[in-house]
Amino acid sequence: MKKQFAAFLLAILFALIFAPHAWCGKNTIKIGINAPITGDIPKVGEGTKFTARMWLADIKAAGGLKVGGKTYQVELVIEDNESRAESAVKVNTKMITEDEVLVIVGPQASKQAVPAGEVANNYKTPLISPWSTNPDTTKDRPYVFRGCFLDPFQGPVLANFITKEFGLKKAAVLYDVASDYPKGLAEFIKKAWEELHGSGSVVAFESFTTKDADFSSQLTKIIRSGAEVIFTPQYYNEVALIVQQAHELGWNKPIVGSDSWGSAETVELCGKDCYGLFFSTHYAAAGATGATKVFIDRYKKQYGYVPDDAAALTWDSLLIVQEAICACGKITGNMEKDRKCVRDAMARIKEFDGITGKMTFTEDGDPIKCAVIVRISDKGEFEFYKSVCP
Amino acid sequence: MKQLKENIRSSFSRVPLLGWLFGALIAVWLEHLAGDPLAAALGLPKIPVLFGCVIMLKKPVLIPAAVIYVLLIYALPVAAVARLSASFANRLAARMLNLPIFFSVAIHLGLLYAVLHMWSEMSAYRVITLKLTLIAVMLTLSLNIINGYMGEFSCSHPGFMALGAYAASAFTVALFVEDKLFGQALLPSALGPFMFPLALIAGGMVAALGALAIAIPSFRTRGDYLAIISLAFMFIVKSMIENLEVVGGPRGLSSQPDWANLPTVFGWTVACVWIINNFVRSTLGKALNAVRDEETAANAMTVDTRRTKIIAFLFAAFWAGVAGGLFAHVLRYVNPATFGIQKLAEVLAMVYFGGLNSVYGSIVGAVSLSLLGEALRPLEILKWLIIPLLLILVMIFRPTGLVAFKEFNVKNLVKPRQRRKE
Amino acid sequence: MAFFFQNLVNALQWGSFYALIALGYSMVYGVLMLFNFAHGDIFMVGAYIGFGVASGLVALTSTGAVALPNWSILMLTIIVSMFLTAFVGMIVERIGYRPLRDAPRASAAITGLMIGIILETGNLALLGARRVRFPSLIESTTYNIGGVFVTNKKIMIVVVSLLLMFALNQFVRRTKWGMAMRAMAFDYVVVPLMGVSTNTIAALTFALGSALAAAAGILFGLAYPVLDPYMGIVFGWKAFVAAILGGRGSILGATLAGFLLGFIEIFVAMIFPSTLRDLIAYSIILLILTFKPHGFFGEPYSARLRL
Repeated sequence: MKKQFAAFLLAILFALIFAPHAWCGKNTIKIGINAPITGDIPKVGEGTKFTARMWLADIKAAGGLKVGGKTYQVELVIEDNESRAESAVKVNTKMITEDEVLVIVGPQASKQAVPAGEVANNYKTPLISPWSTNPDTTKDRPYVFRGCFLDPFQGPVLANFITKEFGLKKAAVLYDVASDYPKGLAEFIKKAWEELHGSGSVVAFESFTTKDADFSSQLTKIIRSGAEVIFTPQYYNEVALIVQQAHELGWNKPIVGSDSWGSAETVELCGKDCYGLFFSTHYAAAGATGATKVFIDRYKKQYGYVPDDAAALTWDSLLIVQEAICACGKITGNMEKDRKCVRDAMARIKEFDGITGKMTFTEDGDPIKCAVIVRISDKGEFEFYKSVCP
Repeated sequence: MKQLKENIRSSFSRVPLLGWLFGALIAVWLEHLAGDPLAAALGLPKIPVLFGCVIMLKKPVLIPAAVIYVLLIYALPVAAVARLSASFANRLAARMLNLPIFFSVAIHLGLLYAVLHMWSEMSAYRVITLKLTLIAVMLTLSLNIINGYMGEFSCSHPGFMALGAYAASAFTVALFVEDKLFGQALLPSALGPFMFPLALIAGGMVAALGALAIAIPSFRTRGDYLAIISLAFMFIVKSMIENLEVVGGPRGLSSQPDWANLPTVFGWTVACVWIINNFVRSTLGKALNAVRDEETAANAMTVDTRRTKIIAFLFAAFWAGVAGGLFAHVLRYVNPATFGIQKLAEVLAMVYFGGLNSVYGSIVGAVSLSLLGEALRPLEILKWLIIPLLLILVMIFRPTGLVAFKEFNVKNLVKPRQRRKE
Repeated sequence: MAFFFQNLVNALQWGSFYALIALGYSMVYGVLMLFNFAHGDIFMVGAYIGFGVASGLVALTSTGAVALPNWSILMLTIIVSMFLTAFVGMIVERIGYRPLRDAPRASAAITGLMIGIILETGNLALLGARRVRFPSLIESTTYNIGGVFVTNKKIMIVVVSLLLMFALNQFVRRTKWGMAMRAMAFDYVVVPLMGVSTNTIAALTFALGSALAAAAGILFGLAYPVLDPYMGIVFGWKAFVAAILGGRGSILGATLAGFLLGFIEIFVAMIFPSTLRDLIAYSIILLILTFKPHGFFGEPYSARLRL
């Protein structure tokens, strides 16, 4: 009895050891996803993961990725960077050298994308960060791209829009000093505004720290400064608090935001307080047509909520990756060659028609794309208001 | 069964450290020779990087293959070589013990480095994991001086680390790299690697200077006030760096030169362990323990308690600063958000997991938690349930940590092992 | 002047959260001499429990099964959540602290820290990465009193927190249990010999602290209706500062220190450029501790580590 059992175990063992050969073919392309699944911004990580899975399902449904007449299976390597710089570096190193991924999508936030981009560039692996707006991410790094526009573009867009639309002269900015995206954008808005209205026209430039919930002191200061509009390039969770507190303190003038408002949660968390406000973003969910609408509807059906901008940008980045791989023409199996080929193909992409707008990469690997001004309607939907192109 | 276990134990108890190092060396050498073909034969996509942990969690079907790989490449060769070379290693160790201790230690360290180098050469992922683990060892050890040997509760280690990281980065970036923040490189970059230790020491010094700001108010009395003063200090440092546009503010500081290679990090870690070990075994270290156990009595025994505490605190901060400097140059990017509460929880966990008042403990704690964190990464969210649970269990069953209150005696470590007398 | 009073109102509201949370810290610290690093996350759990109870009640009312006015929903939510969270606190004590009663204090602090991480991650695993909006149980009305804007919520938050603090003070001063707690804080060794069960008192301390944290969580949800799993971390550490700043085991001290911390944060942002807020605010704390090293109401004694 015992012997039989042992033999049985042994048989299973052997089967397990040698079975994997069958499905370890060479015809797989691996795509690395470096996402913040745990840590500060789990929501962004979740969106990234879900979008990537949706994309993979598409590829699978198509039977694989066709490159130069040959079909390849695609495998996703999704790794969690815990929203930490050192983890993002470890994860990137692991994906490049261990999993031998062809391209990496992510990390999303600049604090991970800057050091992770360095790793990717050193190993000559193309990386596209969908969401990182820090200029350092792609600067002097031929292998690093991004999927979103940069702050120096968005700042003037907002400043011009407010000036033309409302004809206001005095502005206030409220931003998170400890987070690099809001801080960078806040500075560009200030610069753009002062170019239009002369120095001193930004009457209050107030800040707080990540995870703060009370902005009453800063808002009181802003209200006293006589500002006519508040810019707050904050993430959606803070937007809800800022807008509500501003109203409670008697503010009834416009509050304007940036692409970080572009999440379904903005309205969900903010409620009626946010109705009628404007922000600039990559795409408008409510007025969406064509591919954008298809993406939003699919995502909503599958996961139960409207995707935020990070998810939409991830989707575009994955499509860019797909196009670059296809445009490359041939997958040789030689990683170094293939990576270079994909990188070159990606740099050559012109007028890519993504769900967040048309994109062409500059020499630095930053896309030139249009911004959309969105108004939050009285039903809490993101209405297309205006499009601004560089 | 029991007999067998006893036999194995007694036959391996004779193996000196030197023998184990021989074994490890052979094992990594074997991996160099036969790793790839063996992995391919077993159906593994690549050589398992961290002893197969990652691959096991990612693809459970590969568990048997990974286990066999680890057995064949690591466990069996190490055991066999260690056992076979035991008598030779013992003789060698005994011979070396007659020479100055320095000689024997150097040989051991050389072997250890060779093992680590060959092991990590197989993959860049191992290199980065190893470097960050070694840095974690330095951090844990330096915090153990305060929280273990001195018996206080300090929360400012991320702050010291940040000071060290930024000071060292500013030093190297300003002097040797052409960069938009500081402009032209002032010195030729060929000189750089020689100046790197200087940069790290500068980082350590700045951290120690910052520590003085805590030490002066908090060591006037005994109590838990160090905990909040140091916490406040951590917030202050973070806020200060966010406001310093010279070093990039919240955007962080990047483009540090790539000088923190494995030998450098290894060398600094060894120096750190050696110096801290000597420190805690010195009169000052004993005085520190006396202060912890009974301050009044220590005072009566002519220990200048305040001076002792301040020196120990600055010393610990110095090493945290050095570790921070290395950290910045390994990642080649720092930003203030890295040095927050999360980092604090991580370092504290390593200190208490490993064991208070023990150099061994700190090494064990830092290495095991770093590797565990890496190995469990495929579990994503679950990882952050498993690691805390494990720590709670360790705390409940060994409240002072795994290897607490154990002296790190180098001589004991390198000496030959005798057969157990029956 | 209106500017100053406006900030005064702001600071009162902000400070009451710090004070409520700091009280829970302070009690555990005073009675058991432990750092309860899980407390910030218990606050988070309390807020989420409150969210669950409130949403449930709102849903029940909207179906028409029971007719409850909003204020009674709020009262019910606060009471039920306080009980449930007190229970959570007792579990935390049972798992993380009781086995470590005789261990070094710092080890218990580490288990607390780890339980905190488990609570955060558990929440993330259970509810997903979504942030939730706390139902607005009371309609916000803004009063303009001579240029100072005050909402009914703000008044309610400050009043309820002061009431809770008063109730706690009465409990600790007037009841037998409170006396046992004070005795325990006074002498940890002798009190058990007098027939007072250490375990019961420890559990009670945790339960009370957690209940207060739950109340704080719900009030927080009303004022700042965005909840996320990591919301308790920063609060916890800052309340920890306030608790120790107040002096060991002093209810009045912790309350005052909590309010003080709120005032410092608000007024520093008012007077100085707000980018420097943390830098200046915590430098002030550092200065206070330099000149008053025992906190506000702490006795000058030497806290011994039981190592």
